[in-house]
Amino acid sequence: MTDKLIMSAVMLAIVIFSIVYAVADQYIGDDTVNILSIIAAGTIVGFTAIIIIQYLNQIKNDHATGELIENNWDGIGEYKNELPFGWAISFVLTLIFTIWYFLSGYPLNAFSQIGQYNEEVNIHNAKFETTFENADEETLNDMGESIFLVQCTPCHGITGDGIDAKAADFRTWGTEKGIINSIVNGSRGLGYAMNEMPAGLLGVNDAKAVASYIMAKISDYGKTSNPELIEQGKDLYATCAVCHGDDGKGMYGTSADLTKYGTSAFVIDVLQSGKKGFIGTMPTYRVEDHIMTPIQQKAVGTFILSLSK
Amino acid sequence: MGTRALEYDYTVSKWFLITTIILGIVGLLIGVIIALEMAYPELNNLFGEYGTFGRLKVLHTNTIIYGFVLSGVFSSWYYIAQHVLKVSLHESPFLQIMAKVHYFTYLLVIVLALISLLLGISTSKEYSEFEWPIDIFVVIFWLSWGIGISGLIGIRREKSLYISIWYFMATFLVVTALYLFNNMSIPTYFITGTGAWYHSVSVYAGSNDAMIQWWFGNNMVEFILTIPIIAMIYYFLPKEAGQAVYSYKLSLLSFWTLIFVYFLAGGHNLIYSTVPDWVQTVGSLFSIVLILPSWGNAINMLLTMKGEWQQLQTNQLIKFMVMASTFYMFSTLEGSIQAIKSVNALAHFTDWIPGHVHNGALGWDGFMIIAAAFHMAPRIFKREIYSKKLMNIQFWTQTVGIVLYFSSMWIAGITQGMMWRATDQYGNLAHSFIDTVIMIHPYFVIRSIGGVLYLVGFLFFTYNFYKTITLGRRLEYYELKNTSPMATI
Amino acid sequence: MFNWLEKHPLFLGIVIFLFVSFAWIVTILPNFAEMARPTVGTKPYTVLELAGRGVYIKDSCNACHSQMIRPFKSETDRYGIYSLSGEYAYDRPSLWGSKRTGPDLLRVGNYRTTDWHENHMLNPTSVVTGSIMPKYPHMFKNLADIDTAWAEAETVRKVFSVPYNEPLIQKDGTYQSVKLASTIEEAKADALAEAKLVASDMKTKSVIDAIERGEIPEIVALIAYMNSLK
Repeated sequence: MTDKLIMSAVMLAIVIFSIVYAVADQYIGDDTVNILSIIAAGTIVGFTAIIIIQYLNQIKNDHATGELIENNWDGIGEYKNELPFGWAISFVLTLIFTIWYFLSGYPLNAFSQIGQYNEEVNIHNAKFETTFENADEETLNDMGESIFLVQCTPCHGITGDGIDAKAADFRTWGTEKGIINSIVNGSRGLGYAMNEMPAGLLGVNDAKAVASYIMAKISDYGKTSNPELIEQGKDLYATCAVCHGDDGKGMYGTSADLTKYGTSAFVIDVLQSGKKGFIGTMPTYRVEDHIMTPIQQKAVGTFILSLSK
Repeated sequence: MGTRALEYDYTVSKWFLITTIILGIVGLLIGVIIALEMAYPELNNLFGEYGTFGRLKVLHTNTIIYGFVLSGVFSSWYYIAQHVLKVSLHESPFLQIMAKVHYFTYLLVIVLALISLLLGISTSKEYSEFEWPIDIFVVIFWLSWGIGISGLIGIRREKSLYISIWYFMATFLVVTALYLFNNMSIPTYFITGTGAWYHSVSVYAGSNDAMIQWWFGNNMVEFILTIPIIAMIYYFLPKEAGQAVYSYKLSLLSFWTLIFVYFLAGGHNLIYSTVPDWVQTVGSLFSIVLILPSWGNAINMLLTMKGEWQQLQTNQLIKFMVMASTFYMFSTLEGSIQAIKSVNALAHFTDWIPGHVHNGALGWDGFMIIAAAFHMAPRIFKREIYSKKLMNIQFWTQTVGIVLYFSSMWIAGITQGMMWRATDQYGNLAHSFIDTVIMIHPYFVIRSIGGVLYLVGFLFFTYNFYKTITLGRRLEYYELKNTSPMATI
Repeated sequence: MFNWLEKHPLFLGIVIFLFVSFAWIVTILPNFAEMARPTVGTKPYTVLELAGRGVYIKDSCNACHSQMIRPFKSETDRYGIYSLSGEYAYDRPSLWGSKRTGPDLLRVGNYRTTDWHENHMLNPTSVVTGSIMPKYPHMFKNLADIDTAWAEAETVRKVFSVPYNEPLIQKDGTYQSVKLASTIEEAKADALAEAKLVASDMKTKSVIDAIERGEIPEIVALIAYMNSLK
């Protein structure tokens, strides 16, 4: 009965540890912290089990011996027995380890957590930033998607549809249709010195023409789905040039730079400025705040634009 | 030693014992509620602002630590001290009054705490949430205990102090210093004449405040949840088993190294925070050194039981105390290893830490106090324990509960920690925070089940206790003098 | 020696106390002054922000949310640059927290806005699917305790010389000062003005009405505090 007890305790320890490992396994990767933590968990359970079993064994098979001290308290006596050898040795070892650690391993002031951090960042930068410095479209798209899923989906939705007009709908935003939307509904909250773009500067049909002109001739995107409307759009563009400039470049930063429209650079502008939208405010994701790197921003831009294609 | 048998005065011990049980139920119940709230958040809004997790969590920790555990400690003190000092409270009317002052001020603090914490009147400092008016009453009941300790020691017959007394003394002295320093605050009403009269502002700020908070917090865990519990096991186990303590040397060395090293391990709550690197290193290293002193006492107790396997099988109390020692060893090894910097990088802020907390709280503290209650009850009420079978059922129910609790929290915590660190092949974060929350939901459910089991076991205990003191067979004097009335069942 | 100590409780007590004191003298005292120094750009809280901090403490937000970003890339990628000791110079007490049931909030002001908080505190799952955070409708009805917040600010100014009304150098080299009114009435007016700015981004009718009446619901103060966490 008692051996069964010990066996079941051992089995339990193994089962628990195995479940922990099984669930956590997919996340371990090659991160030393993760590996050490799994080893730590195993050590805690294993070491405790081993030691306890040894003592339970002694309870079962050994018997109390030793010389009693003269005194007793309410019938409780004490033996003059020596310290258990294993315990004493372990204790001395931890003390030696501690002294070594202080004196030669990591003297008190030599370790710096900030130094460790800087090293971590440098290693990462060396590995990834240079690897992806000239990433191709597909890689940028993948990278952008994984960032998008973590950072953007709370407001823009998993499909980027803007969750019932809570946020911009990427199926149209950034496309030719998006320009039509902005002309008809206005655009606000990007923080430009020219302030908000008012709604209804042109009718829907005129907007369509202007949109095709902008997409084809002004923006770096360079193509339109309605090339027959470009000429008409060019004439109507004068309305836009008032704020955006004849070249569409945004009058020295006082309004949106339309030459970037349709490319990831336009998305990056929004990431840098944030946007006070129609129903809420989008925060900034600026490089200066260490939230995204330029490559990450480009990746996000690439991915977002892919949503409308 | 006197030839005339002493008539001990168990009045205040009895009051504290009953309070322990009531507050144990309350504390465990709140614990189960908040565990369920984490699994099923709709439960949070059943009682307006008063039932939300934030309010109840603070109430839970305070009820368990200052209610359940501390009451059990005080009950044990008033029992053990008389026995090992060979003096009765009947011999000093002054000390009897002091004990009663102790009890009633303590009760007042519990009531005030319950009300104020539910209202959200809190300093936010962990285990130190009472505002200054309640702190004053804490000081009063604490000092009245101190007077009681020194008074009883002063009139003792047994000149040499038993191990348990050293531990109780350490508890009193150290907690006095800790509580006073950590709660130093300035009541804002008296400086400005405006605002809430009970509000105060901490004299410490920022990183310094965090250092003090965790110097306090870590050592409260030691000096309320460990040291006095060690005092209890050093009395109740050898007494119940009729065995002599295995090694005086081991108890001596463990005591002094434990109280010395534990304080140095305080930095381990602040690893990778903004306290200086060297403080963190000291905390990490000395947590490793701490393993052996902690285990020393547990091993001393296990070795005291050498050759007494059949007692372990037949005496339910011994079962509780041996299991308590096991969880004590488990929990202290767990804590020390979690203090290693690399492990801490993963574990800090995750559910692995509450897993560690509850190993100690449920396994070590809970079981020891239950064992103490079972030992004291027959002698205080002079009744035989009502049902040994129910004790056994309680033991297994609660043990299963603890195992469910810590294993679910281990899985949740380790996975959470790894997911927070995980990056994809582009070096970007692989999971959003909410992903990790959703992932650990099933473990929150399992943990709630573990908690429910522990509470159910505690209710068995309450029932058994109640039946014992009302219906238990009355014990004869000679039976009380035996090592344990358990042997007669 | 130990036998002697065991028979002389007074000395036993003294030796116990000395044994434990060693640690705190050695670890807490040496860096006390250095850790208290604020970093450039750290400012004391305004009265409204302090009242919001009071709400944070009242509902024990620190029980689930930390305010300490550790120096790991996975943390700085997620929450912003790692914490510096001096940033917490005016936090009494510090709210580092010990558990992340929810995310770290130290720099939440950088990526969450007033209206997001408004939606989130009223119904967390409306903006975070799968959230286990409780709803806090009572924050929209209860009023913030501006009196106590001002009392606290006045106290720390008087007793600890916290630099209110003094120009403090910021990261960009300019100087800013945080105003603390010398009377409670003026402080209330200042807090109300600040609250109006916060509420201008909010939509809940009861909150907007309360502000019109000159009352400040807890949620407005809390949001002011959250927005200050940068």
